[in-house]
Amino acid sequence: MSENVFEVDHLGLYYLGRFGDKTHAVTDVSFSMKQGEILGIAGESGCGKSTLVSGLMGMCIPPLYPESGDVRVKNGDKMESLMNRDIEDVRANVLAQQVSMIPQGAFNALNPVRKIKDIAADVLKAHARPGEKQDAKQIYDRVYAHFDRIGMDTKRVLNSFPINLTAGERQRCVIAISTILLPKMVIADEPTSALDVSTQKEVIKMIFDLLDKGIFQSMIFITHELPLLYHVADNIAIMYAGEIVEKGTAEQVVKDPRHPYTQALMGAMLSTEASQRGRHPVAIEGAPPSLKNKIVGCRFAPRCSKACPDCKKNTQNLRIVGDRDVRCDYAK
Amino acid sequence: MLKQYPMLRYVLQKAFWYLLTFVCAVALNFALPRLGDNNPVDIIMGQAGKGLSPTEAQKKKAELLVSFGMAEIGDDGQVVYEYETDENGKVVTRLVPQLDDNKQPVVNVVKLFDDAGNPVMVERQKLDEAGNPVFVEKAPAAQKGKKAKKAKKIKAKKGKKGAKAAAVAAVEKIPVMEKVQAERIDTVMVEEKVKKTDPKLASAVSQFFSYIGKVFHGDLGLSYQNNEPVTNVIKKSLPWTLAIQAPTILLGWIVGNLLGAFAAYKRGIFDKVFFPCAMFLNGVPFFVFGMLLVAFFSITLGWFPAMGAYSPDIPELTFSWSCFKSVSWYYVLPFFSVFPILLSGQATGMRSMSIYELGTDYMKYAKWLGLREGKIISYVFRNAMLPQLTGLAQSLGAMVGGALITEMIFSYPGLGMAMLNAIQKNDYATIQGCTLMISTCVLVANFAVDVLIAVFDPRVKAGLQMGGK
Repeated sequence: MSENVFEVDHLGLYYLGRFGDKTHAVTDVSFSMKQGEILGIAGESGCGKSTLVSGLMGMCIPPLYPESGDVRVKNGDKMESLMNRDIEDVRANVLAQQVSMIPQGAFNALNPVRKIKDIAADVLKAHARPGEKQDAKQIYDRVYAHFDRIGMDTKRVLNSFPINLTAGERQRCVIAISTILLPKMVIADEPTSALDVSTQKEVIKMIFDLLDKGIFQSMIFITHELPLLYHVADNIAIMYAGEIVEKGTAEQVVKDPRHPYTQALMGAMLSTEASQRGRHPVAIEGAPPSLKNKIVGCRFAPRCSKACPDCKKNTQNLRIVGDRDVRCDYAK
Repeated sequence: MLKQYPMLRYVLQKAFWYLLTFVCAVALNFALPRLGDNNPVDIIMGQAGKGLSPTEAQKKKAELLVSFGMAEIGDDGQVVYEYETDENGKVVTRLVPQLDDNKQPVVNVVKLFDDAGNPVMVERQKLDEAGNPVFVEKAPAAQKGKKAKKAKKIKAKKGKKGAKAAAVAAVEKIPVMEKVQAERIDTVMVEEKVKKTDPKLASAVSQFFSYIGKVFHGDLGLSYQNNEPVTNVIKKSLPWTLAIQAPTILLGWIVGNLLGAFAAYKRGIFDKVFFPCAMFLNGVPFFVFGMLLVAFFSITLGWFPAMGAYSPDIPELTFSWSCFKSVSWYYVLPFFSVFPILLSGQATGMRSMSIYELGTDYMKYAKWLGLREGKIISYVFRNAMLPQLTGLAQSLGAMVGGALITEMIFSYPGLGMAMLNAIQKNDYATIQGCTLMISTCVLVANFAVDVLIAVFDPRVKAGLQMGGK
């Protein structure tokens, strides 16, 4: 237990609508992470990935509310809960220091009217400890040192406005700014979406470099590209309609999927193998269920090719199949 | 050469285009009144000749036209006139006496002969060299005796005095006559082209260049209703307009933006109350609001004066405390008739811009990075303000003209009022001066904001650098 740096325990989150209706965006998500681990989370659009990120950082800003469960992060020797804390407390002590995040769409993640060094300096200023006085030069020195350590062209990049940088450079700046306070955990929310393949590789390489240099210790990598996750992640969790439906090592999940949804997802993937050429990819029919209503039975059942009448009645629970978790009663 | 200085290049480029636009504005200003049915020249001429004798009126008109640069000046430096023509297009002429250098008619003397070729002789009184008739003095001879007797009788009765008078009357002046050849004196007549009443107009092109030249020399012509240069009219009224509009617009812009950003950030009850109010006020026209203010605060409550810029008791404004008090007292209603409307307009714009900014990825990212609330508000304000600058340019530009209705309601002696008076009296020179002033203000404000935006917005700056490549 003590070797875990990050624990999520039956986390449930919901959005409160204007008329008191609840949308249960995330239900019953549990996982734990060890030092140096990269956990990949994959799933369709709208399956609750981004909501989960808010929950994992303890940033439950209305209309998002926690419903159940807990998120704990290792601080010193003991595990510290992020749930039900004051927002200002979370802002000052958790964000960017313990859990940091790399947003999706780095194209627009940087304030277009500020220089990169000013954006980075703002982060340092915002997290200055009470009583600690830093003049502008010290702060800029720290910014330069950090960007230097990451291996970026500090002189040019730091003095540029975001518009003067290429997409790849911007994404790397975002990663650098996110890790400037040496957080324990980094949550990367689709950091490589909207980048071309070679730039993607550069960014992935940089993330690994940072991990090797010990700038951060573990990472949650969220994406909808399974092949990418297979290369990057140690463990993979597949999400569907706010739940984790399958969780195991990257090898297990990608090469030998057990949950029907994961299998369908792998079937829908395009491949460059010669035998696959010209074959029409198999899309998963239908759409995910609305999370506004109480769902009885398996959430994937309406779209599942292997569904039987019982599936629509019985709520499925995560159970261990082999050495992984699968949320399907019929998985072998 | 300028590639190293994209900012300078940008400013120069902008300045060039704005100058071009200015010239176009001047050209329009020049051309528009001349396109109408009522040619301004006719109207000005009609007004100028009032109450003068025909010759004086013609002289005055000629002077005016020369001062406008509209009359054609010949090689001899004289005003050139146009001539009357008949139906066939031929110039109409008439006979007039020829005048010599002393403005005396020139005459011809013709000696007369009869049909047989003999000179016709007439008797005429003889003249001496100086041209005076010659007389001879003669004592009356015929009734000498009778008269002498009578005279003696009178002399006996009246004594010395009567005798002297009788002696003077006794001398008689008789004209000396001579015979000379008869002659006729003819005045020399010459043919003269019949002038039209007005001097010949210069061509439109030369008028235009004369206009432009005078405009750039700060001569906007003569306002005939006040009989003073238009520049004086503008100088007198512009400070009032600026005094009422500049603080209103700047304050309205600043306060409106702050309130709008605050409403967007806080949402909740403040926004729910503020936003509909702002929307409502934004839709109220200046003049309706101004009239409501007058009706309520001036007529019903009697707190503030309804019209004018200072108390009529003050004969002339000076830099004194009483004048200042009076002016500020009269300032309140006009100020508050514009201020809330401008404020709400800016606030609604800023609110939507700020909501957009708050929803952008970089604001979310800033939140994720744990930036303080104050910092995020400053981000929002800074970014949302940039498009608002354009709005500021527009209202600053429209400032001079936009005050027209406010000034009408409050009889404020500003430029709008001057223009209104000029329009009512067909004082074209003043109208043109005012419109030129307004277009200049619009252009200057826009130019200033263009430069400001380039300074504040690195996106524009980056565009400049790319453009320079």
